[in-house]
Amino acid sequence: MLEFVHIQKSYGAMPVLSDISERVEAGEVVVVCGPSGSGKSTLIRTVNRLESIDSGQIIVNGQDVHAAGQDINGLRAGIGFVFQQFNLFPHCSALENVMMAPMSVYGVTRAEAREQALELLARVGLEHKSPCFPAELSGGQQQRVAIARTLAMKPPLILFDEPTSALDPEMVGEVLSVMKDLARQGMTMVCVTHEMGFAREVADKVWFLDAGRVLERATPEAFFTTPQHPRAQKFLSDTQR
Amino acid sequence: MLEILNNYGLILLIGEYPHGPLGGLAMTLILAASALLLSFPLAILVGIARTAPLIAVARLAALYANTIRGLPLLLLVFWAYFAVPMLFGKSINATVVMLGALIVYESAYLGEIVRAGIVSLPRGQQEAARTLGMGYWTTLRKVILPQALYNMIPSMMNQFVVVVKNTSLAYVIGVDELTNAAYQVNSQLLTKPFEVYALLAMTYFVVCFLLSRSVEAVERRITRNRRSRPS
Amino acid sequence: MKDLLLANPDYVTLLLHGLGVTARLFAVSWILAMLLASLLTAIRSAGGRVGRSVVAIFVEYHRNVPGLVQIFVWYFGVPQLLPTSVQRWINHHNGEFFLSCIALTLYAAAYMSEDLRSGLRSLPRGQAEAARSLGMSYGQTLRHILLPQAVRASLPPLVNQTLALFKATSLAMTVGVADMMHATRQIENETYRTFEAFFIVSVAYVLMSWLIMGVGAYAGRRFSTARN
Repeated sequence: MLEFVHIQKSYGAMPVLSDISERVEAGEVVVVCGPSGSGKSTLIRTVNRLESIDSGQIIVNGQDVHAAGQDINGLRAGIGFVFQQFNLFPHCSALENVMMAPMSVYGVTRAEAREQALELLARVGLEHKSPCFPAELSGGQQQRVAIARTLAMKPPLILFDEPTSALDPEMVGEVLSVMKDLARQGMTMVCVTHEMGFAREVADKVWFLDAGRVLERATPEAFFTTPQHPRAQKFLSDTQR
Repeated sequence: MLEILNNYGLILLIGEYPHGPLGGLAMTLILAASALLLSFPLAILVGIARTAPLIAVARLAALYANTIRGLPLLLLVFWAYFAVPMLFGKSINATVVMLGALIVYESAYLGEIVRAGIVSLPRGQQEAARTLGMGYWTTLRKVILPQALYNMIPSMMNQFVVVVKNTSLAYVIGVDELTNAAYQVNSQLLTKPFEVYALLAMTYFVVCFLLSRSVEAVERRITRNRRSRPS
Repeated sequence: MKDLLLANPDYVTLLLHGLGVTARLFAVSWILAMLLASLLTAIRSAGGRVGRSVVAIFVEYHRNVPGLVQIFVWYFGVPQLLPTSVQRWINHHNGEFFLSCIALTLYAAAYMSEDLRSGLRSLPRGQAEAARSLGMSYGQTLRHILLPQAVRASLPPLVNQTLALFKATSLAMTVGVADMMHATRQIENETYRTFEAFFIVSVAYVLMSWLIMGVGAYAGRRFSTARN
């Protein structure tokens, strides 16, 4: 489904991603973790070309994302992305936020888009908030709307860039709950997150990133109980409070 | 167009001088500079009045400013040219009239700039001064105004560019400035209106463009040295 | 009482007619200017280097040349460049209104596009990223997400610009457009009742200006965007 082939990226002289080669199979849930500055956000942002790469290939569903002349809009429609800062459109209601892209990109009719949007909002538990504007929603609610907005494009793959890091602690649970449901329904997901509980529950693989390299890849069980790499061990001991 | 510049350039620049009164671009710049300088004290008064703690004063000043800002400059010019002389019972020189109209107009706009400058200072400034025992006027004079005016220098310089453009309305009452000079040149030539007016536009463009660029340079300097940056 | 200017039906008609012309000139110029400004801003943010330079030059010209001179260039200068048949057509069909309208539209559009541009720049980058991530093209992103928010963000300067445009319509009288100012001067010429005539038109302008400022304040409150 998703393949990184020898990804290389530097900001000037500073390497941000060094020779990353990994695979994600359909239906897999991968959690990417590591200390800050390790390049985790940059890594998933290269998948839908929010960031460029210096060399290497990123293959999504058989298509090379960074190839010249690629239909990037078409590709992006098929790759879901959930931001740390939600990035809902403030001038549209929750319902309109979810309706907007299918109408503009897929040409779905307004009635169809509306029906689908209500369904998706119900799926994330926010049907009753559909006419509300982002300013009237809590952080957790906004992020759930953002997830619904992403689902509206029916992507086979969804990327999460620290989806709960900007939330107050009491709202993290509601968002994780939605993400866990998605995982159990078979969605292919790559999540950059610090939420270890989430990883243990639904992730198939954990990648530990440090200084732009994947230093360890393992099942959540193996990673959290017996990390192999010394830096992974340090990271885990630093973050267990 | 170069021909026109050659033959009539001097008229556009300084009018009939020395065989007549100073005109053209020189008059435009003199008019603009005088208007800005003379309206400055009035503008400071308006700005202070608008931020006065006495509501009656503040409201009156706001009424003044908002009324002037609601009127087209052309109408103000007509007021000054037709109506005001009737008050004095005698005719007044058109240039003086234009100056008067510009001063009144600018007092409202510059006053708004002064007001914005005063209001943008962090409240702590005034609080500190008053806590030290300084009275309202002393605070204004020694603490608020110096900072506010310094911060608003770029805006005030921008207003100068605006005034330069506004002087073109003096044409309507026959003052001998740049636009009028171009009009007279066109009346003589008759067959090349586009060249004449394009030249007029280019002249204003060059003058105002250069002025704006210098304003930007000053603005960069001031933002670097900006006093009382809110923490 | 019947001595009052306003009691005379002829003068009232003249004034109302002038008011109508002013309103029409303002409305047409404003709508066209907003459309043109959006287009200019879109070109400036998405277009190639040539497009951006052209727009930049357009904006600089109209911001540094007085409005009166711009009207003169269009009314006195441009017809000289057109074939005589077109000139005659323009003269027959209210040429002064038409040409003043063009001048005012371009004048206002230049300022408005600058206001929109700074409004656009104030938007958080995440908005464009979110829209693009959903697969929307840059054009769609501009149209549905960025420009609507940019307009809201630039509402105060846009309202100021609207007010400035409204007052600038008075300049058209210098080339013969029969607007409110022109009507007033006509009346004043005939009756010599300078104070009365100017007072009436002053009240009219001030009231309409305050109306515009009021509408602007209302729109500002209603459409203020809250950020995440």
